[in-house]
Order: sequence, then C-alpha cells, then structure tokens
Amino acid sequence: MLKYIFKRVAIMIPMLLGIALLTFMLMRLSPGNYLDTIRLDPQISKETIAYYERLFQLDKPLIYQYVHWVLNLLRGEFGYSFYYNVPVVQIISWRLFNTFILAFASFLMTWLIAIPLGIWAAVNRNRKTDQAIQFFSYVFLSWPSFFVAMILLFWASQTGILPLGGMHSPNYENLNLWQQFVDLVKHLAIPTIALSIGSIAALQKIMRGNMLEALGQKYILTARAKGLPENKVIYRHALRNAINPLITLLGYEFSGLLSGAALIEIICSWPGLGSLMLTAVRSKDIYLVMASMMMGGILFIVGNLLADIFLAKADPRIRYDKR
Amino acid sequence: MVQSLPKYFAKIFKIKLYSINRHPEHQRCEGSQYSSNILRFFHFASLSVRMTICIGILLFSFSSYLAAAVSDKYGGELILTTTSDPKSFNDIIAKETSTTEITEYIFEGLTTVDAFTLKVKPQLASAWEVSADGLTWTFYLRQGVVWNDGVPLTADDVVFTFNELIYNETIPSSSRDIFTIDGKSFKVEKVDDYTVRFILPVKFAPFLRGMAQAILPKHKLKKAVDSGNFNFTWGIDTDPKEIVGTGPFKLAQYKPGERLILERNPLYWKRSVDGDHLPYISKVIYVIVQSADVELLKFLEGTIDLYTIRGMDYALVKPLEQKKNFTVYDLGPAMGSNFITFNQNPDVNSKTGKPFIDPKKLSWFINPQFRQAVAHSIDRAKIIEIVNNGFGYPQHSSMGPAAGFFYNPNVIQYDYDLDKAKDILAQAGFVDRSGDGILDDPAGNTVEFSLYTNADSTERMDIAAIISHDLEKVGMKVNLKGIEFNTLVGKLTSNYEWDAIVLGLTGGVEPHFGKNVWTSDGQLHFWHPNQKEPATPWEKRIDEVFNQGVQELDEDKRKVLYDEFQLIASKELPVVYTTLNARLVAVRSKFGNLKPSNFGGVMHNLEEIYIKPEYR
Repeated sequence: MLKYIFKRVAIMIPMLLGIALLTFMLMRLSPGNYLDTIRLDPQISKETIAYYERLFQLDKPLIYQYVHWVLNLLRGEFGYSFYYNVPVVQIISWRLFNTFILAFASFLMTWLIAIPLGIWAAVNRNRKTDQAIQFFSYVFLSWPSFFVAMILLFWASQTGILPLGGMHSPNYENLNLWQQFVDLVKHLAIPTIALSIGSIAALQKIMRGNMLEALGQKYILTARAKGLPENKVIYRHALRNAINPLITLLGYEFSGLLSGAALIEIICSWPGLGSLMLTAVRSKDIYLVMASMMMGGILFIVGNLLADIFLAKADPRIRYDKR
Repeated sequence: MVQSLPKYFAKIFKIKLYSINRHPEHQRCEGSQYSSNILRFFHFASLSVRMTICIGILLFSFSSYLAAAVSDKYGGELILTTTSDPKSFNDIIAKETSTTEITEYIFEGLTTVDAFTLKVKPQLASAWEVSADGLTWTFYLRQGVVWNDGVPLTADDVVFTFNELIYNETIPSSSRDIFTIDGKSFKVEKVDDYTVRFILPVKFAPFLRGMAQAILPKHKLKKAVDSGNFNFTWGIDTDPKEIVGTGPFKLAQYKPGERLILERNPLYWKRSVDGDHLPYISKVIYVIVQSADVELLKFLEGTIDLYTIRGMDYALVKPLEQKKNFTVYDLGPAMGSNFITFNQNPDVNSKTGKPFIDPKKLSWFINPQFRQAVAHSIDRAKIIEIVNNGFGYPQHSSMGPAAGFFYNPNVIQYDYDLDKAKDILAQAGFVDRSGDGILDDPAGNTVEFSLYTNADSTERMDIAAIISHDLEKVGMKVNLKGIEFNTLVGKLTSNYEWDAIVLGLTGGVEPHFGKNVWTSDGQLHFWHPNQKEPATPWEKRIDEVFNQGVQELDEDKRKVLYDEFQLIASKELPVVYTTLNARLVAVRSKFGNLKPSNFGGVMHNLEEIYIKPEYR
C-alpha cells in the first residue's frame, strides 16, 4: 500500500506541471491581458501602458514567462497579484478558511441528510413516503442553487430571522465564543442550504439506486432465508455493498472543498475564494488564477488518492499492490 | 419626534449624559448641570412622582435644551455598501473606483472641486497665487493641519508626494501622465514650511483641478521609497494604523470580502460654521455586497443607509419611501456615455499588407451624411424606455450635462426621424437598387456591416440591439456581435479590425482629460487613432482647440473654445451618442446637513453630515 501511495504522489508532479502549463496557455493565449481595462482610460498614455507591460513582464515571450513562474514556484513563491499588488498566497489565505467552512458545512449537510434519506427511500420503495421524496428531489434538482439562495434571502429580508448575507455580524469581535459560533451558524444557514439542497436530491437518488441494487442481490435473499433480522440484512449486508461507489464520489467532493461556489458567494456576500477567482479570471490576474488552479489540482489528486485508499479499506476485494 | 415625545427626550438624555465624556470641548455647562439634576431625581423620586417631575422639567426647559443642542450632532454610524474589495490603500498606485471611493475620505489634496459650482476651492492649501506668465504657482498651506498620527503637515510632504512618488520612474503611478506635459514634468520646490512653488514648463489650464491629487505623508513613506519597496507598501495587507492621511476619516478595520470600517479622525482640521470640530459621524462602515439585488434587500430591510437605484427598481422602491423611512433623490444625468462609432481608419496593416477595414465600408463610414443618417435613425426614447427603464436623458454633446460649466447644450441635435434619415441616405446615393430590401451604395455594394460591443455588459448589448434594429428600418443590414471585453479592446487599440462599435467612456468635468479621445494623435481617437497629421480639416480644428484650451487660463475664454469643439463634434459625428442614465439614490432619512449634488452625489460633504439623535 505504501509503495502504491508513493507512486501516486510521484505522478502528481508532472501532472501539476501539466495543469499549470495548460492554465497558463489558456490565460495567455486568449485575447487580451490585465492591462486592457486601463487601455481605455483616456488619462493614461501609451508610454505608461508600455511601462506597465515591462513591469509585469507581459512583453516577454510566453515560454520565458512560464519558466520564470515555475522557477519561482520551486523557491516557494507564487508571485504577486497584478490587481492587488500583494503576494497571491496572502490573498488566498485570507479567504481559504471561509471557503472551507462553507464547503464543509454544505458537505456535512448533504451527506448527513442524503445517505439516510436514500436508504430510507430504498427500504420503503414505492410507498407514499418514497414517492414524496422522489417528487421533491426532482423539484430541488431542477432549481438552480443561486435561485434558491435568492428566495431564501428574500424570505430572510421579510422575516428578519436570518442575516442577509455576509459571514460575521458587525459586532462579532465583542461576542463571547458561544455567541460567535451562533452568529457564524446563522450566517452560514442560507448559503449552506442553497448549496446543499440540489446535492441532497442528487446524492439521495444515487444512494437509493445503489441500495435497491444491493437489496435485489441473491445474498440478501440468502440472508433473509437464514432468518437474520431485517436490520442486520439492511445495514450489515446491503449497505456495505451499496456504499462503495459513493466513496469514489467522496474523493471528488474533496477537491471541490476549496474551489468555492462563486455564484452563491456573490449572492450571499460570502468572503470566499470562488468570487475572488471569478474576478481574477475575468480581469486576467494570471498569477492569482495559477495559484488557485494549482491548489485545486492538488486537492483533486489527493482527494482521488484518499478515495482509492478508503475504497481498499471498505472493500476487501480491492488490492493495489501485486502480491 | 411628534409621535413619541417622552421616548425622544429619553434618548436625547442618554446621549447628553454620554457626550460629556466623549466630547468635553463641546459641552456647555448648562447641559451637564442639567443632566446631573436629572440623575439625582432618578435616584430619589418615586416612580409616579419621577414621571411627572421628569416630564415637567422636560417641558419647562425644552427651549433651553435647544440652545444647548447646537453642538450635539456627534456620533452614530453610516453604513454604506461597495461592490468589490479595495485593491490597495496606496493612493498613488491604485486608481480604481473601488479604492478611491474609500481613500477620498482618508487623503486630501491641495485643492478640491465644489460639488455645486464645480469650481476649484481650497482644501489643504488655504490660498494660492499665479505669476503673470501663468507658469509659477505658489500654494500657501493651511496652518495647523496634522496627519492623523499627530505629525504636522508641511511643504515637505507636498514636495515628497510629487518629486519622490508621482515623478518616481520606478513607481507605476497613473497620475504621472496628468502632471507631465509633452514629456516634461513640473518643478516642485519648497519655499518655507508652509509654502510650495510649482514651476510649469508651459501654461496648463487643468493644473488647479489636478491639484486635488492626494498628498501623502513623507514621515511614513520615505523609508519605503528609499528601500525600493514603495510599490508594495500600503497594500490591503497593511495594519490600518499605518495608513496615515489628513482626511476626515481614518481606516479602522478591513476584513477582506466582508467589510471596511472608517472611524472619525479627531485631529481633522475642518470646523463647521458654528465652530464644531468636524466630522460628526463616528464610524463609516462599508459592507461588501457584490449582488445589487441583495443590496436592495438589505436597504429595504434597513441594514444599510444608501442605495443607488437602478431604473428597474424604481417602481418597487419609490412607494416604500414613507413606510421604510427613506428619501429618493434624483441627482440628474450621470457622468459617462454610451455611443456608437464607425471605423474611419484608412491605414494598412503593416503585417498582412491589407487595409484595416474593407475600402467599400470605409467609403460609407467617412461620408458625414451616412453618419448623420445613423444619428437620425437612433430611437433614443426607446433606449431610455428599455435600457434606462424610463429614467434617462438623450445625449447630444460630447461633454455631458454633468460636466456643468463646460457643457454646451447648443449643439446640433439629431431627432429620431426615419424619413429624414432615408432622405439623407438617398441624397448620398444610398438606395435599394437590387430590390432586396437592403440599401446599396453608389457603387452597387450592399450596405452590410458588423456592430460589436462587449457581451458582458447587458446595458451595451441592449443599446446595440436597439441601434441595429433601428438601422435595419432605414435599410442597412447590421450584424450584431457581442464579444469578450478584452477582444473588443484589442480591436480598438491594436488590430483596428472592426466596422462599428458600441462603447462607453467615463466622463469628467475637465475637458482636457478627454484629449486622448479627441485629438487626432490620441490612441483612443477610436475612429482613426494615432494620426501623424490630422486627416480632416475638422479634426485639425479640434486639435487646435485642445492645444489652445490647455494653455488658456481664463475660464470663460476656455469655455468658448470647448463649446466650439462640442459643436464640431456634433456636426461631424465621429461618435453618435445615445442616452445617459439618471442618477437615483435612496437615502435613509436619518441625516442632517445632507446636500445632494449632481457632481458629488449624496455623501460629498460627509464631514458635515450628522446623524439625527434618534437614529444614533
């Protein structure tokens, strides 16, 4: 197993460089650069724009810029943001935690609700409750998350129960630890629900399908024939087999933890990475984009690796090392 | 106040008792004595007696209270929103509005522009004089101005700001272009601690307006400049205490993506007419809200104090004025413009050897009658109705009405008149000869061209769609193409391959700052940029007007020149203007001294604005 993990980590390096090269080329070969917005400012002269081009090294050949960036990366430097004039690591680190909290909350909510719901629906297949769950799943699946967020915000503005966006109340610093926690949860509620509601519907359907498949297997019939209690049949035998595909899914979810949900963040004024990156891509703040792509890439690879390891733990049939 | 008098008084007292500690310099002795009497009563009187006596005293001394209330305007919070984070607190480097809308309350210039007359008025300089030849300007700094860390402002700071920051070749400052004339910079020298002299290479009329440039503290920044770190100084990662300015507010806290707090600068130099130390408001909080819809919800909920109304919100917002306790101000036409322009560039691409634009199309676009017909075909009323949601103004002059003094309303106006447009086109030889419903030019080519605009702006896409629809009515075939902003900029500034473009520019009060657009050698002279020699007589005349205008120090004579320029532009129509948005702002009714102006908006006199006691 260790050997396998080592191999996977070693493959990461060329993969990340590939991701970086692709991102870099996409950013630089698409028309325009960071200076385009100031090009249309009547008060800025040609000479000044040329000066900025030299300063940001945008006049150098592409390959030079890429190699320069990689060399800096090896020294642990991710470069400066054009837009903010501050190291990109600094800008990302401010928002990393916020994005993580939101992603983690919606992750927890999704999985803690969807898995039991899927199991329950499968066990009560085609009864009224199952039909109701499936009906609402279709409804929520077809609602875009930003629309859900908008509706929730409107509701909040009418009732005043939950705050309208943001992450902390203005008096956050003066609260005690418990009050701070409650404040955070209140602010988290709307974006979390908006992000989760569609995923709950989707994941519930997958879980239900897997569970139904497992329940239809011969070994379940055998277990029931042996006279095992129904609880044991479902949770011991069916569930363990039904859950395997979801572990792979979990690995993908991991990579999504820090990529942020730009639309929800914008609507709910959540100070996360998603909206920051959207602006960075649009304004061609290239090093900021590169850093976040690298981060996403690493998480994606690590997430997949973790999923594979979990899978091996959960399913004894899976072996990575040749014996 | 009328509805709950006792509650109102109680609130006042709370604040009175408070303010003894907060602003001892403004407290009148009657006030404090009076308050302690009240306190004693509260201690000894029984409930009912207390109530009667209290009300009795309140009524008895109401008039004397009013006399004492003169300086009781202090305290309270103003909560605003901003759509994006500031990019830096370094005013020399950052120039985006997200930054300057905040730094303008932290830093000040030698002069400022009056929000109503648009004339230059004193700020950090209390007076100035100019030599007879108009080249030497002497500024006398206001005595007693201190930076918000207590260090006095002197001529050294002014000299430092210009010589070591703006004119420093290693610092990317966009202000440098404003203070450089034909490649020559101003000579800035200290005469004594409170006197600075500027020596200009040539006469420069926008000079005084340019002196609104923020002055930065030498004692804080000198070290960073010397070590070459200035470009990374005062970024958004800086400790708020390090940001030192002379303005009415200072930075207290910044949480990226969430909020930014400014607090009152107790050392601010300005006094009110009554001698009060300004500013009145204790805190200005900017909440970062990216979505305008959420901003509206927050405003209606009451958590923010100001909302810039989009035309489409008006019907929703206006009826709630009374119920939600706010006032809607119509500030008149906004700065900035949207227009259509045609490519008149006859040059050849040196790389491919092909002309930038198809010669047959060029022959249409350089024909003034063609452009006049276009101007007559644009239905501005419809643009106002659809794009500005009914709240807009048609634009005809190249300086908008918001420019005030330099705006020339008496230019040629092209009303929406399709028959007239068709007549003009017919006179110029554009008629439908082939019978396919589309015009043909005198040489028999079908009049068909592409109209570009940036697809991410719904406003411009809508305008472009209405224009192309209108032009189809007079028989032109227009292919509307929404493209990426960066691609559009590339077309305008480097490869010049386009037919027609709908674009917008931000405007200003000073006509000379539009030089890059209007003089024939400008790189933003969109229709035919970077000309060596003016291609047409009217472009030559506009060049002359700008060159004379910048050297004419008499404002009235300048106005005559720039009026002529606007008249020429309206006659020759290198750009055809569409409409201007109306500026509608909703403000919570809790402020005193509010003086909204078209140029300055609602908060231009923030230091004088106070919050009414019942809202603190």
